[in-house]
Amino acid sequence: MIPAISTTNLTKVYRLPRGVRKTAVESLTLEVKQAEIFGFLGPNGAGKTTTIKMLLGFVKPTAGSAQIMGIPIDRTNARADIGYLPEQPYFHKFMTAREIISMHAALIGIKRSERKQKIDEVIEQVGLEEIARTPASKLSKGQVQRIGIAQALIGSPSLLILDEPTSGLDPLGRQQIRDLLLDLNRQGKTIFLSSHLLSEVETICSRIAVLVKGRMAAIGTPNEIKRGGERTAITVAGELPSELIVRLGYLSADIAHSEGETVITVESHQIYELIDTIREYNLPLVSVMPIRETLEEAFLRLAA
Amino acid sequence: MSRIMVIAKATMLENARKQVFHVVTLITLTIVCASTMLSFFTLGVQVKMLKDLCMTSLLFCGGLLAVALASTSLPNEIENKTCYPILARPIRRTELLLGKYLGSLFTVYLGLAAISIVFAVLLATKQALDVNLILSIGFTLLEVAVIAAISTCLSTFTTPAIAAMLSFIIYVAGTVKIGYFKPLVDQVTNPATGFLARAVYHILPNLESFNFKDALVHNLKVPDAYLIQVAIYGILYCVLMLTIGAYAFSRREL
Repeated sequence: MIPAISTTNLTKVYRLPRGVRKTAVESLTLEVKQAEIFGFLGPNGAGKTTTIKMLLGFVKPTAGSAQIMGIPIDRTNARADIGYLPEQPYFHKFMTAREIISMHAALIGIKRSERKQKIDEVIEQVGLEEIARTPASKLSKGQVQRIGIAQALIGSPSLLILDEPTSGLDPLGRQQIRDLLLDLNRQGKTIFLSSHLLSEVETICSRIAVLVKGRMAAIGTPNEIKRGGERTAITVAGELPSELIVRLGYLSADIAHSEGETVITVESHQIYELIDTIREYNLPLVSVMPIRETLEEAFLRLAA
Repeated sequence: MSRIMVIAKATMLENARKQVFHVVTLITLTIVCASTMLSFFTLGVQVKMLKDLCMTSLLFCGGLLAVALASTSLPNEIENKTCYPILARPIRRTELLLGKYLGSLFTVYLGLAAISIVFAVLLATKQALDVNLILSIGFTLLEVAVIAAISTCLSTFTTPAIAAMLSFIIYVAGTVKIGYFKPLVDQVTNPATGFLARAVYHILPNLESFNFKDALVHNLKVPDAYLIQVAIYGILYCVLMLTIGAYAFSRREL
């Protein structure tokens, strides 16, 4: 199957005044499969927006190549089946949500007879019914964000490139958009998501790429990105007998006691030995949990 | 073509809300209406004065609006980032440029249409309307199209302020090209300066050629061949400016 997005050694060098050159993206090679939700992470200035701008033809790559649905990005028809939400979307302020979406529907050639129905559909999808006829100038940031998502969805594109889609939304709005993205993904849409909200990315993305200083620092599933699993924590109810504490010394276990529970941390390969030992003392087992980095910890490690 | 018209329509709606459009159009309408108060002249002179004043106002209003709207329309779209969702569609940058150009031009035409109707009604109360009125207004619209094309072209590689200033200078210089600039060029003796002056002279649009005010005021007949020649000149100048603009805009990083 043709990848939804593929880049090979994609590079962008900006020429600044006084002959200064700034490499925004360096030799980026990645592949986004069709029908996956791909998270594109990186600290500010990592080159995420520049990469998206190159994919959409706003800036020309200095070197390398990229394709969208197998079509080189310098061709206009590479953007034929894309919905794009820019970071902080701006629209003509005098236009209403319905007019903005209608304009985009006309731009992609949706017939006038079908337009109303399709506009109603996306307005309902993003929950804009009540403010659909209010000028954008009178809407909140979150409401404008919803218009941005709606205009990206019009025409039912198979690839959505979303730059911070939940920016400006309240927790309920974020949840609605997350559910919407998962629903769209179930319908077979590919979603390329750039976001700073790591928990959101971890929840919905099947794969993640982390960009740091223009270079790919890591790519894979969230579990592949996160380090850990080498150590496991076992929680038991109550305090450990002193004899058991001595025995655990041979396992190099870390022991911590709080609020009526004791957490024993050992190397993962020692876990069965530890469980057997605990069983000997008839201590109630509360949980067994492999210790793994959170995505935030992995992100901070990679960004550093 | 339909995509260009969608962008043109949005641009027109946006421009028609701008203060500069309302102010310039209202001032011109006031001047046109006030020109009927020239009652101290005999009727024949009164009509000539009315035509002269109204056509001059129409031309100035058109030129000013073309510069103000066309030189800011595209840069504002880029600065406000409203172009991003549009250009993420399968739309060529040339289509966006043409849409912005036509949108600006149609807005100017909207203002000029209102002024022309008032002018025609006022003139009809004094004498029967003739073909020269349509001719004069028609070529004023073509002149405005040329000025808007120059402004749009300049706005693709300069800031809106510089584009507006340069466009206005070109508008004024193009209006006085034959009358004042030609004698100046002829006087230059230094070969290098002379070459440069002649180059500027030839590049500048000859906006005077679109002015048929004298034919209207003095009821003169203009040869058809000349009209065709001027029309072709105007259209070609617009095409040239928009082609340069499209090329510059296609290379620009957004």
